[in-house]
Amino acid sequence: MSLGLYAYVITRDRPDSLAGFRSIAHRGLALVVAEVDLDRFTGLDLDEPTEDSRLAVLVREHDAVVRAVFQLEPVLPLRFGTVLDGADAAVRLLGARHEEALAWLDRVDGRREWGLRVRAAAPEPVDLRDVSGTAYLAQRRRRLTAAEDARRAASAVHRAMTSHAAESTCRDHAGDLLLEAAYLVDTGREADFHAEIHRLTGELGLPAEITGPWPPYSFTKLEFADA
Amino acid sequence: MTGRLGQVDHRPSSLADTLERVLDKGVVIVGDIAVCVVDIELLTLRVRLFIASAQTAREMGMDWWTNDPFFTPGAVDGTTGMKELAEQNAELRDRVASLERVLTEGRP
Repeated sequence: MSLGLYAYVITRDRPDSLAGFRSIAHRGLALVVAEVDLDRFTGLDLDEPTEDSRLAVLVREHDAVVRAVFQLEPVLPLRFGTVLDGADAAVRLLGARHEEALAWLDRVDGRREWGLRVRAAAPEPVDLRDVSGTAYLAQRRRRLTAAEDARRAASAVHRAMTSHAAESTCRDHAGDLLLEAAYLVDTGREADFHAEIHRLTGELGLPAEITGPWPPYSFTKLEFADA
Repeated sequence: MTGRLGQVDHRPSSLADTLERVLDKGVVIVGDIAVCVVDIELLTLRVRLFIASAQTAREMGMDWWTNDPFFTPGAVDGTTGMKELAEQNAELRDRVASLERVLTEGRP
């Protein structure tokens, strides 16, 4: 069995909050870590992770630790699979990226991430038995126009939700997915944020899915180099 | 905060959503101090493929033609389709056979 120092999040050094975790502190920052058996991370079957696959279990564990710290303090989640070369390396990292990490912690403080997915409503089935060619083409044009309207409506939802959020990000999407976005929302504004999603998607007749709250995973996509 | 609220569906974090965030987002530490145990680039790529396949083909818009009667006449009505085609086929065979008979008989 080979052991390694697995790192989960960078957070502020608050000994009271972090009492239940192993953390390495340096100048007001802390890195939440755990000694792990590195063998658990080798030979992961990546092809079709099911809920009980080793990868899924490890990823859920990672998420659980990130969330546990996130309940107490603002966090910068590290990417899955980050193992440090000992406690000295952790101190070097926190020292080298001190200002940057503090600035990012301020940026996500008091905010949570919410995911939003908007899909196109399923089209009405068309009865072709007594439809002429012209009528079919007219019908097809109406459907294409409706799809274009739905895309515009989804963009309007994103603009509106962005104005209710501190930050937002949009992902690539395909097919009947019209919007796949994440928003970083002040906890004090979450009620308004959700009310607005319900109001807008209801008004526009678009089916929507919300996920969250998440730690700010989508808003800490950055690289810290060992300076 | 679960369950349907009007049109908005609030769901618990699915494996695909969690994988996407945990594997593809977050702070990446580069340099000598971190050793990544897993080949994260490979992992991310595979997980993207998984997320794509975890969403159904319908969500990906891969079967846009199935609801389009222009391409799938059987989709007009679930009860039509193979059975009707078979009947139509049998009827046409009969008509071809009778036309062939007429032609053969009509020959001098």
